[in-house]
Amino acid sequence: MDKKKEYKEWENLASQELKDKNLDSHYWNTPEGIRVKPLYTEDDLKSLHHQIGLPGLPPFTRGPRATMYTNRPWTIRQYAGFSTAEESNKFYKEGLKNGVMGLSVAFDLATHRGYDSDHPRVLADVGNAGVAIDSIEDMNSLFDGIPLDKMSVSMTMNGAVLPVLACFIASGEEQGCSMDKLTGTIQNDILKEFMVRNTFIFPPKPSMRIVADIIEYTTKKMPKFNSISISGYHMQEAGANQVQELAYTLADGKEYINAAIQRGLNIDDFAPRLSFFWSIGMNFFMEIAKMRAARFMWSEIVKKFKPKNNKSLALRTHCQTSGVSLMEQDAYNNIIRTTIEAMAAVMGGTQSLHTNSFDEALALPTNFSARIARNTQLILSEETGICNVVDPLAGSYYVENLTSEIVKESKKLMDEIDEVGGMVKAIELGIPKMRIEESSAKRQARIDSKEETIVGVNKYKPTEKQKINILSIDNEKVRKKQISRLEAIKKSRDKKIVESYLEKIKNAASGKNNLLEICIEAAKNRCTVGEMTSAMESVFGRHNLSTKTISGVYGSSIKNDGKKDLIEDELEKFISKRGRRPRMLVVKMGQDGHDRGAKLIATGFSDLGFDVDIGPLFQTPEEAAIQAVENDVHVIGVSTLAAGHKTLVPLLMQSLEKNEAKGIKVICGGVIPPDDYSLLYKLGVSKVFGPGTNLQEAAIEIINIL
Amino acid sequence: MNLKEYLKIFKISNLDFSKSLGISNVSLSRYISGDRLPERKILEKIFQITDGLVDANDFYLEKKNPNLLSEIQKQKIKEIVNEIKKGNRNYLAKAITIIESTLLSHKLESNLLLSKLPSNQNSIRIGITGVPGVGKSTFIETFGMTLVDLGHKVSVLAVDPSSNKSGGSILGDKTRMTKLSVNKNAFIRPSPSQGHLGGVAKKTNDSISCLEAAGFDIIFVETMGVGQAETAVYDMVDIFLVMLLPSGGDELQGIKKGIIEMADLIVVNKADGNLKKSAEITTSEYKNAQTMISKMRKDLTPEVLMCSSIESFGINEIWNYIKKFIEISRNNGSFFENRQKQKIKSIWNNLNSRLEFYIEKNIKTKEFVKKIIKDVENNNLDVNNATDIIFDYLSNN
Repeated sequence: MDKKKEYKEWENLASQELKDKNLDSHYWNTPEGIRVKPLYTEDDLKSLHHQIGLPGLPPFTRGPRATMYTNRPWTIRQYAGFSTAEESNKFYKEGLKNGVMGLSVAFDLATHRGYDSDHPRVLADVGNAGVAIDSIEDMNSLFDGIPLDKMSVSMTMNGAVLPVLACFIASGEEQGCSMDKLTGTIQNDILKEFMVRNTFIFPPKPSMRIVADIIEYTTKKMPKFNSISISGYHMQEAGANQVQELAYTLADGKEYINAAIQRGLNIDDFAPRLSFFWSIGMNFFMEIAKMRAARFMWSEIVKKFKPKNNKSLALRTHCQTSGVSLMEQDAYNNIIRTTIEAMAAVMGGTQSLHTNSFDEALALPTNFSARIARNTQLILSEETGICNVVDPLAGSYYVENLTSEIVKESKKLMDEIDEVGGMVKAIELGIPKMRIEESSAKRQARIDSKEETIVGVNKYKPTEKQKINILSIDNEKVRKKQISRLEAIKKSRDKKIVESYLEKIKNAASGKNNLLEICIEAAKNRCTVGEMTSAMESVFGRHNLSTKTISGVYGSSIKNDGKKDLIEDELEKFISKRGRRPRMLVVKMGQDGHDRGAKLIATGFSDLGFDVDIGPLFQTPEEAAIQAVENDVHVIGVSTLAAGHKTLVPLLMQSLEKNEAKGIKVICGGVIPPDDYSLLYKLGVSKVFGPGTNLQEAAIEIINIL
Repeated sequence: MNLKEYLKIFKISNLDFSKSLGISNVSLSRYISGDRLPERKILEKIFQITDGLVDANDFYLEKKNPNLLSEIQKQKIKEIVNEIKKGNRNYLAKAITIIESTLLSHKLESNLLLSKLPSNQNSIRIGITGVPGVGKSTFIETFGMTLVDLGHKVSVLAVDPSSNKSGGSILGDKTRMTKLSVNKNAFIRPSPSQGHLGGVAKKTNDSISCLEAAGFDIIFVETMGVGQAETAVYDMVDIFLVMLLPSGGDELQGIKKGIIEMADLIVVNKADGNLKKSAEITTSEYKNAQTMISKMRKDLTPEVLMCSSIESFGINEIWNYIKKFIEISRNNGSFFENRQKQKIKSIWNNLNSRLEFYIEKNIKTKEFVKKIIKDVENNNLDVNNATDIIFDYLSNN
């Protein structure tokens, strides 16, 4: 009784302070559809949708291990890779000397898509955004002097997962480490590729078979290796909110369990080796609650498969601070953002963590920025005392209630997936992709209309531009080096043996033999990543993405602050002069499949009244130029993230000239180092837009350029 | 054209025009007589109001030619016609832009252009419709590549909806036609519907003429299967194909029964994987339901076929049927009769859009029509009387 009275009293006081009788208007409606109250009390712990329990015990809400960081802190695992294997090897060794505890390899886009470095479609992709690996020889150089029986290695590979994992295993053996001793993780999460990241190679069905082949093989032969890292990271990067990230990732996980069980595997033999991967953004408490909710929900999901071993129920995860939260403008702010995100990951109980370098919105990290990123974790772990208590936020009225709300909302989304018959089906129908793109467009609208603050971007903008040193890769040099190495391998190996293994791969692809087993042998015998892939491609085919786009979401979410009217006026003037709306072709050239930016531009600009053409993913510059000519667009918008612009934009300019279309203007947007701006302008690019550009302002600028 | 001609042709009084320019009647008279040259701002405004028909040159250059198109414009069109005949993509693309443009000067150019293009009776015009997600583009990709391999030149005109709200559009057809869109013997042009269905139809029809003149012998016209656009497309193609998903009635698929009735060929797509069985069921359901598919063309019964664009299954059967259909209709003359009829229909369509265009551009008439419409909205006038009044007004002017 007293408590009720007390609460009433608080309400009165609060109304007075707020000068507002209606406290309702002070609730915060999160993008996830959760209503956050201004105050939580013990009443909010009464009807939770989850159980809290104890760490190390089901349902594992408080953590997969009993002692968590009190025994051993999380693993500092920095994701890195660029240029050649030798360069990356040097970078890894530097990190290991300075506190890094596990490796995480980033591969270049050519490797991701199963092309050798000499393939004509990957001119601009070799050595960009990751290390180029064409064969076991490259893998040997990558881990030169790094003992694989002692070092856990995580590999972000999904498309060309078989040849790359095969090269890794074979390389281990050549180093003297048998495969049962290898520790680490292969991402091997193909479903989210179809949803957001787009670095797939084969159609969904054979792709799922490959996942099952890998789970089967590693379960039997590599007991210390995580066969899959079920990733929500890329969903949040593509614009998903936290509930979507959680629900779709868990739904993916369920699908993988089903695939393994259909293979005849026992749940307890493989479930303990499934791992997860979250993105941690700036919504501090939401991220912590998400991680706790995830562990509870996963244990519930696995329980239905009747495991006998409790370890099967425990969700272990890697986390990375959010890449989209990094801004080009006022870039040093990114250090602070990353620190806060890292703290959320740790409070949420992650098993390993990557902290982004502050300059990653501009280019690859330098030694300096990589050091700050590592130190962020070292300081959290060794200076703050956070590690001394397990799950410190448990029991917090707010955090537990938020955890419960996330469980509730995520279940709704998972039910939607179940209703259409599971994740594979839902992906075919494009449901998750559509929902994520809606979230992404809404968020951009919130930022553009300043409902969501980003310091230094849409508020408190710096007056001066700081100069930031960045690292750039001479992509052409890397490509030439890779090509000469490929030539050397092709000369030294026995052609007949290579042919016979490629034939075996084809047979296995059309039959039932385990593909990983054969690929390991093929890798040992110097078959290249590209060769193994095209052997499988001849049976499976290469998957074509059918691009679906949403419209209207950005337009209806943006607040009209006068800019919209201004755009309409400008458009009207334009139409009365040219007889049609400004028409823009948005292209994403090269092998980079991250199309969040391109999609956002397409839907945003069409909502602002442009006619927007979209180019297929993985287009070459020549193909983009031809499309621009045929569709007779006014301007081509090049979306670039993976540093391919230095090669691709000059090629595009040449192709336009060749096709007598010099009148078509070119603009660029995305992750472009400021130093490259002048190069692009010299090439004839009309305007370069960095991350965090306000779409409405950009629209006006573009109309003026035209 | 010069300002005087413009005002005369569009029956705009000097006073009205000076008002819309925001200048005095006297100043305007000086501009018209050539006593004074308008300043830059006024020039721009005149250009805007007249839709580019009166530009700066018209004040500086003495035009000897009474015709509306300048020699330069005529020369340009001649060049475009020649280049189109050679199959030049750039010019083909430009020609379609001119056809689709809302500028009056472009309209005059496109009339001249179209009058110079040779007609082609050897082409096959295929209309394709179906709800979003049925797989039209993917089907055209597979089917089109098959036709290209057979030696045909294939073109695709895809009409994508413009947003009612913003007027903008997303044109993503080529993302599903990755091979066809880069093939030398194919040309794909997506166009925004501009929220004006009748308008699209006319423009698409004219674009077809350009493609045929450029040597394309197979022309696909792809539309969303949900509205009036279908009737318009039906009226410009030789064979009309309606695409369906496996299982589910028309209501479920959002296709109107009327559209099914227009079909010369119904294709049940996505007959692959788990859906194969249900595709078979749908196919036989439609085959048995003769009431749903009525015979629209002479001597030809509509066919129901199934296919899988992904597995390239059923594509040959579809092509064989289309060939047979065209052959029969050519032999019995209905092919030519149909195209002839379509021409007449497009006169009416043109007239309609011309009328709208005229009213829109003629300030005085526009005001008058606006007033009448307002009266109808306020229930001061009934629809029939309003129509009579507008008609009388137009015919007296």
